[in-house]
Amino acid sequence: MSGTSRAQLCFLLLSVTALRGHARFLDIQDNEISPEGLLSLLSSELKRELPEEFVYRRALRCLDMVAVEGQFTFTAERPQLNCAVFFIGEPSDIISIEYDSVNIDCRGGDFVKVFDGWVMKGEKFPSTQDHPLPLYERYSDYCETGVTRPVVRSSQNVAMLFFRLHQSGSSFTVTFRKLINPFPCNVVSQTPEGSFTMIIPQQHRNCSFSIIYPVEIQIGELSLGQHNDLKRSILGCAGSGDFVELLGGNGMDTSKMFPMADLCYSFNGPAQMKVGCDNTVVRMVSSGKFVNRVSFQYRLLGHQELQQMKGNSVEDVCLRA
Amino acid sequence: MKPVPLVLLITSVLLTTHVPLSTCRPRDLSLINNQLDDVLLNRAGEDAMSYLLQYLLRNLGAQKAGGVLHLPHFPTPQLRSPHEDNSLEELTEFSKRNDDPPISIDLTFHLLRNMIEMARIENQREQAGLNRKYLDEVGK
Repeated sequence: MSGTSRAQLCFLLLSVTALRGHARFLDIQDNEISPEGLLSLLSSELKRELPEEFVYRRALRCLDMVAVEGQFTFTAERPQLNCAVFFIGEPSDIISIEYDSVNIDCRGGDFVKVFDGWVMKGEKFPSTQDHPLPLYERYSDYCETGVTRPVVRSSQNVAMLFFRLHQSGSSFTVTFRKLINPFPCNVVSQTPEGSFTMIIPQQHRNCSFSIIYPVEIQIGELSLGQHNDLKRSILGCAGSGDFVELLGGNGMDTSKMFPMADLCYSFNGPAQMKVGCDNTVVRMVSSGKFVNRVSFQYRLLGHQELQQMKGNSVEDVCLRA
Repeated sequence: MKPVPLVLLITSVLLTTHVPLSTCRPRDLSLINNQLDDVLLNRAGEDAMSYLLQYLLRNLGAQKAGGVLHLPHFPTPQLRSPHEDNSLEELTEFSKRNDDPPISIDLTFHLLRNMIEMARIENQREQAGLNRKYLDEVGK
């Protein structure tokens, strides 16, 4: 085969493989392939990834937290004016919310909105400095774009659903799925103990790992940039475009938290710090010139340790209510 | 390489790569299933406040419940008349898009942590059940 025709054939094959495929499966019962099973291959209806009986379903409450994939329905038995459902996944997940069926009165003031992040007491996670989208784009209103764009994806492992239903009998159903995120950036930890490695591969962005507990953080390895720049370490973290900071505070917004430590240069070997705040955040700022990586572990601070910390410190940076 | 076969090749490639995607849709939507969990769903009412109060009374005791719970201030609902002119609707739509919606849940971290813990337990239980079902299917 000549060179050019081989090249054309390869190009043709490449284009054909770029077509996306849909998975289908036959429902075989009692080890017999029924005619319905075979015909279902030809029908245009595609089955979901999980068979129907494996999909988790339950009713939603006005205030709810969901960490399991499945189909969730909220039915208003009386007017519900301020409801919120929190979604959370593993650190390496992103959240996909799909509107399955929505029976609300948009013109009557009902709404169902998805927020890309969490809002608590007016504070948003991720903060506006850490999130790639502007604030108004993080809200996705069903009444505006829900019909044309029924699937909403978050940028991190947390998302929220706000809804208001005036009439009893209104309802909606959403399907919550978790998708894999190869480079998780902003994370809320589900547990007070664990470990994580955050990698920012040559991107100009800031990433926060939020642990909503008072913890002791042990940083095992920090790799900032390709080489250790002596000039950079003399200037301190303020002059550096790549650094890691430990923040502590009592809210969700990382821009309103207090810096506990700054790390500007790479090191190997554990460095630990106790942060006695309600929210502890490991935040990495990256200029985009290098691949930055930080590995850390964290464990919950016991009650005695917290009391000891209160006794030792002169000023209490994290004020408690 | 002659131009005509090249054009034919490019045309066929472009046509074949223009396959419309069909969206996945579930067969039927059964809204309530029978796997209701007693712990999560045996409640007097589904109202957020009654749920929180019941949880707090059970776990923290009646004295602390009043102090820990922050009562959010709900904005009064706007009653819209049926004969509303378009300009007002457009203005409200526009403001909805550009302002923060006045909704924020006033939760303490303590409540948030407990909610996360309950959701994790639900997830682990469901994952264990799924694993058992998968193993049963494979074993047949």
